[in-house]
Amino acid sequence: MRRTYGYFAALVGTVCVAFILAMLFLPLTRTVRSDVLQGFLIGFGLAFVTAQAYARIKAVRVNGWITMPGLGDPGNGVLMRAACAQLFPGPVNTPEEAVYWWANTDATGRELTGRNRYVLRFPPGGLPPNNAFWSLTMGDARNRFVPNPLRRYSVSDRSGLVPGPDGSVEVFIRATPPEGGTSNWLPAPSGKFILWLRVYEPGPEILSGHYVVPPVARAGGPTP
Amino acid sequence: MRLEHLLIFGLVMVATWCAATYFWPRMLLSVFKRAIVVKGFGDGPVPVNTLYTQSAALFADPLNLPAGTSKVASAGVNRDTLLTLGWLDLSKGPLVLHVPDMAGRYYSVQFTNPSTNTNFAYVGKRTTGAGPGDFLITGPGWTGDVPDGVGHIASPRRSVLLIGRVLVYDDADLAAAHRLSTQLRLAPLR
Repeated sequence: MRRTYGYFAALVGTVCVAFILAMLFLPLTRTVRSDVLQGFLIGFGLAFVTAQAYARIKAVRVNGWITMPGLGDPGNGVLMRAACAQLFPGPVNTPEEAVYWWANTDATGRELTGRNRYVLRFPPGGLPPNNAFWSLTMGDARNRFVPNPLRRYSVSDRSGLVPGPDGSVEVFIRATPPEGGTSNWLPAPSGKFILWLRVYEPGPEILSGHYVVPPVARAGGPTP
Repeated sequence: MRLEHLLIFGLVMVATWCAATYFWPRMLLSVFKRAIVVKGFGDGPVPVNTLYTQSAALFADPLNLPAGTSKVASAGVNRDTLLTLGWLDLSKGPLVLHVPDMAGRYYSVQFTNPSTNTNFAYVGKRTTGAGPGDFLITGPGWTGDVPDGVGHIASPRRSVLLIGRVLVYDDADLAAAHRLSTQLRLAPLR
């Protein structure tokens, strides 16, 4: 979850509740105009807070990866639609077409930053099951592409990832090229970043929720 | 006296809460509508009922957005598919979407109801196959016959957000993918 949103939602919620309590228990002079204005602002604030809270309840978080089952589903109720619009603010695909995960923390909850090196290791046979394609894309703290000498902005089933001798696939996520070659390097910025994992036409293991995305593991010390 | 004020406040608050929750997806999608029909993506606004395909140059070099490009539609980092966008208004009659032969390539065309931000239909490799085809898109209350050999997509609303995605295998494939993307075409029903 984006922490700033969490703090902001908590702040708005606290202010709204404090206002309501003050109104109930403090002898304030009131006018109809202030009633309507405050009712509007607090109602709007609470709508934001409830949608954020509902999104946090409904989102699935495993190994630092966050996804939302049922995005864009026409059967979603009012609250679910508002929550989806807040957690994935855009007209994204329904799960049968594509499933999205994003992460801004490693498996232990520490923020992802280019000051560290990370390895995402898909075990043998553990690449995301799909009938179309998958990709892992890098975004900086503001979710923009990251300049790099290879002009590589993502790794995917098409990017020439080289499996290890045991069939596992390791993606090296770091700001500087790995020593052993750049085939499996996903260039990171020097600061914070976000990772996006997309799987189009996901397999049944993903749609049923049984597929677990491996953790983004911190490797070694900080980049010299 | 105090009770009246509390009642007014409470009613306004609950009504605003309901309205804001209900209209949140619509407010979000209105941003996309503005990006498409008012601002555009570097080549001026995209008129209603026409499709615009993201330029191959922007896909190849996503770090340098051309001046006047709306950042909204290219929101998020996507290096997999070329986007084709269009805002449809079915109040003046149905439209026909033509899809070229994608020769097995992954593509999808998503039909989003902008009042709920949910997807009510798909055309694409998963749902209708990668071959060529035509699809009639009709608004609510439309009566008529769907021509032979044409698929039918019934929209619950007059407004529709259409998003096409065509897979790009690699840099060398970009031109071919872009050519196919631009062959996604909309025309009124004759």
